[in-house]
Amino acid sequence: MPTGAGDVLAAVAEQLKVPLTVIARQAELAHMAGRTQAADPLLVQTQADAALQLVDSYLLGLQLLREQTQLQLEPVSVPSTIVDIAHTLTRFAKQYNVDIEVDITGRYQPVMAHARGLRAALLSLGYGLVEAQAAIEDQRRRRLRLAMHRTPGGIVTGMYGTYNTICAAQWRTALQLCGRAAQPFGTLAPGSGAGLFVADTILRCMDSRLHVGHHARQRGLAAMLHPSRQMQLV
Amino acid sequence: MSHVLLLEPNTILAATYQAAFTAHGFTAVAVSGAQNGIHAIDARQPDVIVLELQLPSHNGVEFLHELRSYPEWHDIPVVVHTSLTPVQTESYVSILHDALGVRAVLYKHGTSLAELVNAVKAQLAMV
Repeated sequence: MPTGAGDVLAAVAEQLKVPLTVIARQAELAHMAGRTQAADPLLVQTQADAALQLVDSYLLGLQLLREQTQLQLEPVSVPSTIVDIAHTLTRFAKQYNVDIEVDITGRYQPVMAHARGLRAALLSLGYGLVEAQAAIEDQRRRRLRLAMHRTPGGIVTGMYGTYNTICAAQWRTALQLCGRAAQPFGTLAPGSGAGLFVADTILRCMDSRLHVGHHARQRGLAAMLHPSRQMQLV
Repeated sequence: MSHVLLLEPNTILAATYQAAFTAHGFTAVAVSGAQNGIHAIDARQPDVIVLELQLPSHNGVEFLHELRSYPEWHDIPVVVHTSLTPVQTESYVSILHDALGVRAVLYKHGTSLAELVNAVKAQLAMV
């Protein structure tokens, strides 16, 4: 069931409180009595960048929803998109002590997708899952694996980690609770999970959607990328 | 030196709060979830617990029920410091106060570090 843009907006607004609180408290910490250390500029910058990315991705999702019938699809190389996303996520992930790994083996044909949309969706998903991975208890090493593999239905691109308890039913429920519950996907993400819902909204505009998947004995969220309906008509 | 246990799933915020408590002469340990919280109390009983209600897997209320089920931990002061707005916590704030012994409920995004530290100091003054 597609999530309404208003519900996603509520989740985004809730999510934005986190980086804003980090920035505000970092600034306060720098001026606190007994401390002479300045606020960590890299931490502040990364948190602000993540917040801006979430807003941009939400707005892009909204724009794509409105323009769905004339979506500009083009051949997109998923491996290079994944490598680019991994590079962008690394600085953010490092602050949460999460390692980003890329697992792409073999050669893959380009998929027909909206290049900006695909990048925004995967980036939003990545930011959301890094925070989720960081909150998981009892882990010595926190890792988020960006991976892809072929299936008869298309190319599955996803992000996987130590999310052993998540299942498809929980994700379906989370989509219904988006923007209405404090923790719609509580078994995965401790907050509003806005990044996941923004990613799903964008992917749905490209005839795809997020689903619970697994790769190399790890669970996570993934999307099936396949030729679009427009291309089949051509 | 008073010891504070922080149950905070966001590790960056946890480190920020930890630094603030250290600057005010406390020792502070931060854990991300309920299970680790129980282990941390087992390892060293804190003088005050600062608790986020929105935890991964088990929520903060479940943690409080488990905490209060142990007689030796029954009187540890708990300050709830949560992302839930006062409107969201309104319906069960009386349970937190009356049944689970929570002394103060703070809205995380509207509470400064100074206010948080002062709330903890106030709990210690009451003990």
